[in-house]
Amino acid sequence: MNNSARTKAYGRSAMIALTLAVLTIIEFYVAISLDSAIFLMLIALFKAVIVVQAYMHVSRLWSPEGEH
Amino acid sequence: MTTVTAALEGYTQQLRNNRMGLWLFFISEAFLFGGLLVTRFYLWGNTRPELDQTIGLIVTGVLLLSSFSMNMAETAIEHGDRRTFLGGLAVTAVLGLVFLIGVMVFEWGLFPAIYEGHLKPGDNVYGAVVFAMTGMHALHVISGIIFIAIVWNLGRKGGFSPERHWGVESCAIYWHYVDVVWIFFYPALYLIGTVAH
Repeated sequence: MNNSARTKAYGRSAMIALTLAVLTIIEFYVAISLDSAIFLMLIALFKAVIVVQAYMHVSRLWSPEGEH
Repeated sequence: MTTVTAALEGYTQQLRNNRMGLWLFFISEAFLFGGLLVTRFYLWGNTRPELDQTIGLIVTGVLLLSSFSMNMAETAIEHGDRRTFLGGLAVTAVLGLVFLIGVMVFEWGLFPAIYEGHLKPGDNVYGAVVFAMTGMHALHVISGIIFIAIVWNLGRKGGFSPERHWGVESCAIYWHYVDVVWIFFYPALYLIGTVAH
């Protein structure tokens, strides 16, 4: 594998982390300003979906080739 | 069929089974953590104890950052970058320890000389739920750190390759699962509801 593919993969990982950080800050301010339990749990659910999809590779469960 | 092809197909099948087994384990764990979340909403309703918001935000940030370093480590071994792989694992373990220390010192008040905790497990329903939720989560953080240490040691000795690294993948997925649990615990403990006095 070449260096550009590796750099791209690291960049993608950083972008996901940044998205999660931004969502956490939004979550904090939503708690202060709106105090909506449903909205807060929805943000948490969205964050969890991102982690499960991007970091936990859930789609590999049904990939036919079964590679890493 | 050549011996090499047969071995690769065997590994692929094993990998599929391993993944399925790990996710089934996560589903069983979800009942445990889900039960704790339900307990929180049943007993607290729309109230919460007065927890330190700054500490909550910091430990949450630390755990999210550890997920990033863990993903870097996994990506690195996928691309044969052993140095980043070992570095990423070490950073993840350290961040996990920082999270753990943050919870133990500032939420549990285990070291009153440093910080006097204001909740005790036997005090009331708030203390009981906070300690049950953070305690069960901390147990998983500890097991995750031990898992990382084992994988790091194997990696240091030359174990794992871009083609075969189930040990790394499972360790990373487990760590992210611990992060996912905290993603739900953080608003449930720190953000939702009005402070009960």
